[in-house]
Amino acid sequence: MNAPDRFDAFLLGDGEKKVTEEPDTRIPSSSIFTFNKEDHTLGNLLRSQLLKSPHVTFAGYKVPHPLVNEFILRIQTDGSLTPKAALMQSCKELVSDLSILSREFTKEWELRKMVGDGAKADDKGDKGKGPVR
Amino acid sequence: MDYGVMDVDEVGPRVIIRESFPDRADFILENVDLAFANSLRRTMLAEVPTMAIDLVEVDENTSVLADEFIAHRLGLIPLNSKQIEDVLYTRDCDCDQYCENCSVTLTMHAKCTGDEIMKVYARDLVVSEPRPNEWVGNPIITDEAGLGAVICKLRKGQEVRMKCIAKKGIAKEHAKWAPTAAIGFEYDPHNKLKHLDYWYEEDPIKECFKGLYPKKNGMWEKESANQADGEPFDYNAVPSRFFFDLESIGNLEPDAVVQQGIKVMQQKLAAVLQELAGDDNRNGDVGADGFGGQEADGMQGGADYGVDQGYTTPYVNPGAASQWGGGATPYGATPYGQSGWNQ
Repeated sequence: MNAPDRFDAFLLGDGEKKVTEEPDTRIPSSSIFTFNKEDHTLGNLLRSQLLKSPHVTFAGYKVPHPLVNEFILRIQTDGSLTPKAALMQSCKELVSDLSILSREFTKEWELRKMVGDGAKADDKGDKGKGPVR
Repeated sequence: MDYGVMDVDEVGPRVIIRESFPDRADFILENVDLAFANSLRRTMLAEVPTMAIDLVEVDENTSVLADEFIAHRLGLIPLNSKQIEDVLYTRDCDCDQYCENCSVTLTMHAKCTGDEIMKVYARDLVVSEPRPNEWVGNPIITDEAGLGAVICKLRKGQEVRMKCIAKKGIAKEHAKWAPTAAIGFEYDPHNKLKHLDYWYEEDPIKECFKGLYPKKNGMWEKESANQADGEPFDYNAVPSRFFFDLESIGNLEPDAVVQQGIKVMQQKLAAVLQELAGDDNRNGDVGADGFGGQEADGMQGGADYGVDQGYTTPYVNPGAASQWGGGATPYGATPYGQSGWNQ
């Protein structure tokens, strides 16, 4: 009856922005980003990628309420780049990592297909015997 | 050392495919962190687009099952979703309600005339042309007899005649759009990181694994198991090898599920990048510096990078009612149940 629409979880509303940034006034070089219509999938991914950057001194995310389709991400940097720049850098790194993964998977899958029928016959016989590398 | 310092940036993700079947892929993802692997898993589970019947127009139903009951069963029938890029989301399409660019129409017409009880199968759904491409919308039939899923049973004189409109969607909206039946996900099979806390009385290995230790994935990391004895606990260790076992429903090949999952993740990130870049320099130079050369391939060419229309366009079409009873429609304002539209 009053259940929220399922598409609310992934469609931005009218005039709604994907990301908004609000500087954290208490500490220099830190910002709080609010991501709309996103969840742990993106939140945790960005958080962990940000933490790999030597210039990021803090990165953490939370989903304030499980029924509200947003998460907030707080980033603090050492001042050599802005939190926003750090976030963009992380996004780019992830996109290129994903491209590598895509190519790698295609390559391996094609190789596997070429080995093809022989390997499949093997698998049937060897079920449970452990990995065949 | 298995869980040593991660040098992800040096080599990037690695994949080992252990087994591949028409409906299953067993692979290992290496050299990525837990968040990355888990995001990929979550995306493949819930956000890979597929086709499923979303609207059912009931012309005749004299079977014992209620209209909405059959409509629900129809929705759950897996439909071929190969190259679903050719299909638009109905909410993004220019048409009033649905058209051949954003939907596939299947008709079902069956009447029992004999004395035997008749079964109506997924193969009895007739796909009408034209449609976005030659595969999309075909019911998935994997049994040897070529029948497909049973939709309903009819007794003598009973008839069902329905027009089903299949649309593109994601499992986040409704599970009928799920591309996978399950995704097995495991890391650190010997529990060296102590992320798991096995309950046991005397010996966790004896009691928790029922003699099946080490399991398949454990065999893979056999060497590390032997080292584990007497080795001090490494507090800085992180997992870097993930065992995936992806089982497709049949609407997409398992490798397509992975590739689509990767693509959806890239689109998410691209949407963020675009928004952030748009803030200070309108249509800035994101495309130029971050996605040079090969990366563009993964993004389907630089042009549509970041333009995830499916998630940004407001839907304007009136008409479609949502699948599971009564909910307000995602696509417009037509009241539920009006004019023979059921579902």
